[in-house]
Amino acid sequence: MEAIRIIMDEHQSLAAIIHAIRLMIREVGVGRLAPDFKLFKAMVHYLDAYPEKRHHPKEDQFLFGPLKARTTEGADALARLEAEHGLAEARIQALDAALQGYADGAPDGFEAFTDAFETYANFYRNHMLLEEREILPLLKRHFTADDWARADAGCQATPDPMSGTRTPDGDEDFRRLFSRLVAATPAPLGLGGGPYKDD
Amino acid sequence: MNEVKNPVLQIDKLCVSYGKVEALSNASITVGEGQIVTVIGPNGAGKTTMLSAIMGVLGSAGRVSFDGTIEAVPEVERMVARGMNLVPEKRELFGEMSIEDNLELGAFQRYRMGHRDQARTMNEVFELFPRLKERRTQLAGTLSGGERQMLAVGRALMAKPRLLMLDEPSLGLAPLIVREIFRIVAELRRRGVSILLVEQNARAALQVADYAYVLETGQIAMQGPAHALADDPRVIEAYLGLGGKHQAMLST
Repeated sequence: MEAIRIIMDEHQSLAAIIHAIRLMIREVGVGRLAPDFKLFKAMVHYLDAYPEKRHHPKEDQFLFGPLKARTTEGADALARLEAEHGLAEARIQALDAALQGYADGAPDGFEAFTDAFETYANFYRNHMLLEEREILPLLKRHFTADDWARADAGCQATPDPMSGTRTPDGDEDFRRLFSRLVAATPAPLGLGGGPYKDD
Repeated sequence: MNEVKNPVLQIDKLCVSYGKVEALSNASITVGEGQIVTVIGPNGAGKTTMLSAIMGVLGSAGRVSFDGTIEAVPEVERMVARGMNLVPEKRELFGEMSIEDNLELGAFQRYRMGHRDQARTMNEVFELFPRLKERRTQLAGTLSGGERQMLAVGRALMAKPRLLMLDEPSLGLAPLIVREIFRIVAELRRRGVSILLVEQNARAALQVADYAYVLETGQIAMQGPAHALADDPRVIEAYLGLGGKHQAMLST
């Protein structure tokens, strides 16, 4: 069940980034923190590049798809998750656009970004809870040893940020990106080494 | 039982008492070479007491076998000299000294034994913790909580330990930093460091560990491969956020 460990690990990384953005927004809102737009953008980029583009396809291909082939149990939840995965681009575009508006000094830019982020964060909380509380138990119940072998191999082939994902073809290094986000995030949420600098 | 080919640490029926109160009763655990073994449990379960007894900071009864040698009465200086290193919960840094000096102190025992590789080891530590390198001349007392934890781990690594014991490394840290700390713990295993990890953050600990023990009121209440414990309804109920009745659940 290495696949489940990897999926839950990635959920923790995603939740940690969302938690940091939420608290930074709160601090900016009460005037205790100046916005670091590059850091916000880098975090939104992480949310797009890893969870949306890597994590979800892995879930669909190696876990949810095979589960659907095994049982009709959880069909509604699986259909909902599939639909939500399909809306990844629209979801991230809405967040990105709101952040860009805020960075460009749009009137009510901060409020619009806050609203867009809250929508995004609330969506993810419910999405991850549905996966962890309803679908993961079904996987444990219905997956055969062969299913697990395929899922484990598939999830390990695209490793999670905990082990680094730099590949010879120059793919992005999410381990390093995550570390850079942690380093640049203001203390006590991060290490306080900001402002965030591009590579 | 944690059956391993090369045990680095084996403790057998370890008991610690504070006066008439027994804080640890017949605790037996094993850490294999290159393994991350975690001990989870609520506040006051005896986790820190266990680490202190293994190190020889607290008197104990029972048997501690480290790296193949039985220590009838563990003594802290001897355990450190033999390659056991503890990162305490409170970090215990020297706030008036620089990051670099704190790290060098971590290599003191090896230096005293004739090793002169501390510069290379420090570069390895800086590779793991680039933030410490950036701030190498800063006083430790000026560091943020996450940086202090990184320095405490880095200082322990300067001793090139056979066994690294981490006492609540996530305590008081924000989720983002906790993720980074646990990523580094996983990285240390990849580099061959054996780790005994004591944690209240059961989810994070069980994610990263190979084998796990649940310590309750001074006794090992459960044990097993970490992924199996993470899947155990009693652990889920008690430690993974779906309830708080750990004592009742674990006694079933």
